Amino acid sequence: MKFGNLVFDESSKEEVLKMFGKAVDDEGYIVEEENTNQRVLTARGEEIHFDEWAGVVQGSEAFVKSDAFSLIELAKRIN
Amino acid sequence: MGILEALKNIFDTKFSNILNNNKFVLFDFSKNTENTLEIKKDGTLSIDLSKVSAEERKKIKEQIIDVSIQNENETFLLDESKNKTTSIKANLPKDSDKKILEFYHEKLRPDWNKALEMSLVVKNMSQKGEDIKDIKRDIRKKYPEFGNNLCNMVGREYFHEHFKQLHKSMLEEDFDIVEYRNKVEKIVKSLPYTVFIDQYKGYDDFAGEIFFKLSKLKKYGTGKLLLHGLGKNNVKTTLKLIEKERDTWDITDVKIELNKNKTIITATLYF
Repeated sequence: MKFGNLVFDESSKEEVLKMFGKAVDDEGYIVEEENTNQRVLTARGEEIHFDEWAGVVQGSEAFVKSDAFSLIELAKRIN
Repeated sequence: MGILEALKNIFDTKFSNILNNNKFVLFDFSKNTENTLEIKKDGTLSIDLSKVSAEERKKIKEQIIDVSIQNENETFLLDESKNKTTSIKANLPKDSDKKILEFYHEKLRPDWNKALEMSLVVKNMSQKGEDIKDIKRDIRKKYPEFGNNLCNMVGREYFHEHFKQLHKSMLEEDFDIVEYRNKVEKIVKSLPYTVFIDQYKGYDDFAGEIFFKLSKLKKYGTGKLLLHGLGKNNVKTTLKLIEKERDTWDITDVKIELNKNKTIITATLYF
């Protein structure tokens, strides 16, 4: 995997999330737009709060959290 | 097809003055102040998704985002997260730090090893003068019981020297890995109320430091202070401090843990 030359910033985070067919529930967690009872999970099975969402890698469903422990795993996979 | 070509395809003749007359290395999605496409000061082409049509948005997702992630195997990240990942990557444990991780791998619990690895990243960032606040906060948040202390102790190289020395000393007797693990955990968790007796300071310095820490702790109340020493000389100094200074400390009890070879001491002063 490599860093893409495409990023988004905080101001467009919600728009980007919508493009992936996701929404945010009452508690601030990312959910499927078509089934808001279904929270989106990381590859490790963790729910993702909107504030903690870092982006997407390898496949449209591979959502990543923004904490250092999630990003260190990503950093090790980047060439 | 690259991102620029895809944008020309999606927007057709719109924005041709920007798209045909410039080369871009980086593209970002951002809420622009005025226009759909804007060139930022650093040369990044900024695209405002809230200003494009539904059809254009659909094409951007399919022809640009999905292609980058799936076909090109690239990340699509929040700019801050990309920067954070870049910084972590540049400071991943290497060489001697890797050996530290290998040394503790089977000795500490998995959570402690994860915190240790991240703390080594923080140490490397700190040595380069980089901002460590965000990552230290993540460590504290994930491991509130020990994360902050462990991070501080890695920065002061306790895991490079002290805890390896502790392991060596414990190996000289009937070794129990659980006992070693518990000792490391106890010392890390009690860092704010521990005095390390080592060869770098003299007797009077330690007597003063213990007196000062005790007076502070009495005010804020943990009820105990640990004295921890490794090696025969430091054990002797610790025992001498307890014997000679005890009356001035105004403590209620002392519990001394000393190994058979008298090379490891942990004394708990209660007050």
